[in-house]
Amino acid sequence: MVGIDGSSELTEDEAELYDRQIRLWGLESQKRLRKARILLIGLQGFGAEICKNIILAGVKAVTILDGGVVKDEDASSQFLAPRDQLGKNRAEASLSRAQQLNPMVKVTADPQDVADKPDTFFGEFDVICATECSVEQLIRINQICREKSIKFFCGDVFGMFGYTFADLQIHEYAEEVTVHKASRSQKSGEPAAKVAKLSPVKETRKQTATFVPLQDVLEFDWSSETYAKRVPKADPSYFLMRVLLRFRSKHGHDPIPKNREKDIEELCKIRDEVLTKLRVPVEKVPDNLFRNVFAEVSPVCAIVGGVMAQEIIKAVSQKESPHNNMFFFNPIKNVGFVDHIGN
Amino acid sequence: MAASIDGVFEEILKSSILSARVLVVGAGGIGCELLKNLVLSGFEDVEIIDLDTIDVSNLNRQFLFHKQHVGKSKAAVARESALTFNPNASIKAYHDSITSSEYGVNFFKRFSLVMNALDNRAARNHVNRMCLAADVPLIESGTAGYDGQVELIKKGLTQCYECQPKAAQKTFPGCTIRNTPSEPIHCIVWAKHLFNQLFGEDDPDEDVSPDTADPEAAGDAGEDALKISTNENGNVQRVSTRNWAQSCKYDPQKLFHKLFHDDIKYLLSMDNLWKKRIPPTPLFWGNLPDAVAGSSRNEKESGLKDQKMWSIAECAQIFANSCRNLKNQFESLKEDDHLVWDKDDKNAMDFVASCANIRAHIFSIPQKTRFDIKSMAGNIIPAIATTNAIIAGIVVLHAFNVLKNNFESCQTAYLRPKPTHRNQLIVPEKFLNPPNPKCYVCSPKPEVTLCVDVNSMTVKDLEEQVLKKTLNMVAPDVILDGKGTVIISSEEGETSENNPKKLGELGIADGSILKVDDFLQNYELSVTIIQRLVPKDGPDFEVVADPSQLKPKDDDKVESSTANGEPDQDDDILQVVEEDDDSSQQFDSKKRKTDGETEGGISKKRRTEDVIVVI
Ligand SMILES: [Zn+2]
Repeated sequence: MVGIDGSSELTEDEAELYDRQIRLWGLESQKRLRKARILLIGLQGFGAEICKNIILAGVKAVTILDGGVVKDEDASSQFLAPRDQLGKNRAEASLSRAQQLNPMVKVTADPQDVADKPDTFFGEFDVICATECSVEQLIRINQICREKSIKFFCGDVFGMFGYTFADLQIHEYAEEVTVHKASRSQKSGEPAAKVAKLSPVKETRKQTATFVPLQDVLEFDWSSETYAKRVPKADPSYFLMRVLLRFRSKHGHDPIPKNREKDIEELCKIRDEVLTKLRVPVEKVPDNLFRNVFAEVSPVCAIVGGVMAQEIIKAVSQKESPHNNMFFFNPIKNVGFVDHIGN
Repeated sequence: MAASIDGVFEEILKSSILSARVLVVGAGGIGCELLKNLVLSGFEDVEIIDLDTIDVSNLNRQFLFHKQHVGKSKAAVARESALTFNPNASIKAYHDSITSSEYGVNFFKRFSLVMNALDNRAARNHVNRMCLAADVPLIESGTAGYDGQVELIKKGLTQCYECQPKAAQKTFPGCTIRNTPSEPIHCIVWAKHLFNQLFGEDDPDEDVSPDTADPEAAGDAGEDALKISTNENGNVQRVSTRNWAQSCKYDPQKLFHKLFHDDIKYLLSMDNLWKKRIPPTPLFWGNLPDAVAGSSRNEKESGLKDQKMWSIAECAQIFANSCRNLKNQFESLKEDDHLVWDKDDKNAMDFVASCANIRAHIFSIPQKTRFDIKSMAGNIIPAIATTNAIIAGIVVLHAFNVLKNNFESCQTAYLRPKPTHRNQLIVPEKFLNPPNPKCYVCSPKPEVTLCVDVNSMTVKDLEEQVLKKTLNMVAPDVILDGKGTVIISSEEGETSENNPKKLGELGIADGSILKVDDFLQNYELSVTIIQRLVPKDGPDFEVVADPSQLKPKDDDKVESSTANGEPDQDDDILQVVEEDDDSSQQFDSKKRKTDGETEGGISKKRRTEDVIVVI
């Protein structure tokens, strides 16, 4: 098969298919992408979007791991599993459409639950992206990634709200910066001896970013003097995420649309507990935010899944500054922002 | 199908989605993503229109299409694929142009909302007018690389697509192209002009020979430098480049000698040009450098043929081969026909890449690979899957708010390649932008001023160049105000006897007002005429929305050349520099670029992380 021949050079077929993106991120990035093996855990709407984008980008291999079955709610955003596969394993049901997106990428479905996977399983990947996992699993996988120097990403979409997190450990990358140089040298075709004038020049620089593990983000102390001041102005997204992750850990699932009113009540209760424990005023996450956290809403999966996939592409190609370490999408204001949480 | 699952959305949104009828204009990069989001969100009455068929280079992002669909209608295949996501939806696909007269105001009035996913400004302008006329909210969107933008257009509430002047196309002074290139793009533009001079549409503004009227060369060029008489335009007097090439049967060696030796020698004789520049080096066919420019071959160099850096000897071979092939293509055409430069035509691209590199070498300018030259010559603004996905997501969130009549939450949103200083990646504006009261499209009484020489412009030019190409009308009727004379009728043939007449012959003079009406667009425009002689090498006419913008013309500007011709509007390009991507019109852009058009791409407020370094 073309493209998986082990050589680091692109074939002419690949160059044709990926022509436009090569023009954007360069040949070197495309070569790095075609060597990347990616594990994608969780394949509801958000996972499906990430899956689509990285397969289209032309990574080497994608393993989709999902122990769940196709549910009614999947119809609100999961476009890889055909509708007649209700009740079937989600990863297996999605394989055929995922593979069709790009025959040059090796796509594998794994129907097991992530909790049943031994630590050794994760070693064969360059990037792991986890969605719909419990906090306990996220912390475990993040730890394994740190031991094996695997780039770790996670994120979720809850209704119209979403976030992503990255722990790339110590990440080296090249960044293009515009510098203004005063040039006195003679350029062909241009009158020389002009007074030195500043002209913008693009330069590639080697940079290093240091990340913290997810645990630091979750254990972050908002009551400290410096941060308590920030809370009143802070966007509620981080705290909303904490409430939703707590709901997931407590109930073993996310809020269910058909239990809408009951689950909103439960979310309010959990919110009170979680925020009180964080010593953050409960009003930080108003009740009305919970009206928009059911299922995974397609346009938001597209937005947050697009951002996540682009971060994976950036990390693999080691080009441009990665989001260190969180991205939140707040649907009330249509704002997507990057934040660094943890020390 | 979120809206048909109880409890996902609030009741009001759920019912508005289920009862909405929406139109998606364009089934490219953003269109595919939009259609997916819409049917998954539960929209059940969707129509999609696209004129295009599927190409291989679409497949890396237009994910509703696969290899087996290449050559088929985008709208039809997009419909088939999207139906598998939501079998309950009814999707109507049109393989057609939205500017066709079948889609009049009544067609648009049927929709609760229209979403544009277009790739060119002409169609965007048209849909903008149709939605204003039908009073249907329009969500406009576009992407370019990592950048993207989503904007609500609602009559009376927000700016329309044509409220703000758009950036003009980048041009280069003619003497830079012909005499003193200093950057690769100058050589590429020259090579494209050369292609047209030899095989394409003949345009006197695209002369490739030395320009003796170069003001910088004054004093030493022309008569006394080279005892060659020049004509009034400053061009070396001789038969046209094409006639000369034909007379020597397009012999590559002879062409090479003239272009890269004799003409360069001539330039060298214009001493003033080279006092502060590195002078060019004429080349001999029989003695060309084998080595690859710069250094030894880059060790990182890939094996891909388009990524190789050619030596000048290789360039000359490629020049010779492409010349022979293009000559054969050209000679197989009918008498008056000509070739049209196309970045995807192997010979046309080889020709431009080799000529540009040879010229670059002569002027000590760094050479480029064929791959890079294709980007620049074809003006390719690349589109990628992730940006399109994010932008289409924001469009549908805007759509939710529009359906809920919550327009105040539909501020224009931008996607940035990097977070802003406030750490925002997806950045909404604080407020809706109110309509521009002087907009010549959406203001209550639209008007423009046309500066033109009424004794040289014909009625046909008024219709084609001014009303259709510049003002984007489809089928205008024109009446001379006060006298009631019908100048142009959209009824076939009714005023065809007026076509060759000059405007002045029909009584149009300084201060005249033309009442222009485009029935399809339901658009009436009042055009005030200002009589002005055409400046030398200047535009034939100028259209100004706001007469206070009229300022004295810069007479020093001798001539300018289009940068790269038409951009290759990959998908849904944000900053549209030129109007369309119809390649057959690529080389008549001269008139349009100088037509004083004040429009351009959507302006973006951008923040870059600049660092000041002084060396
Ligand atoms: Zn307007």
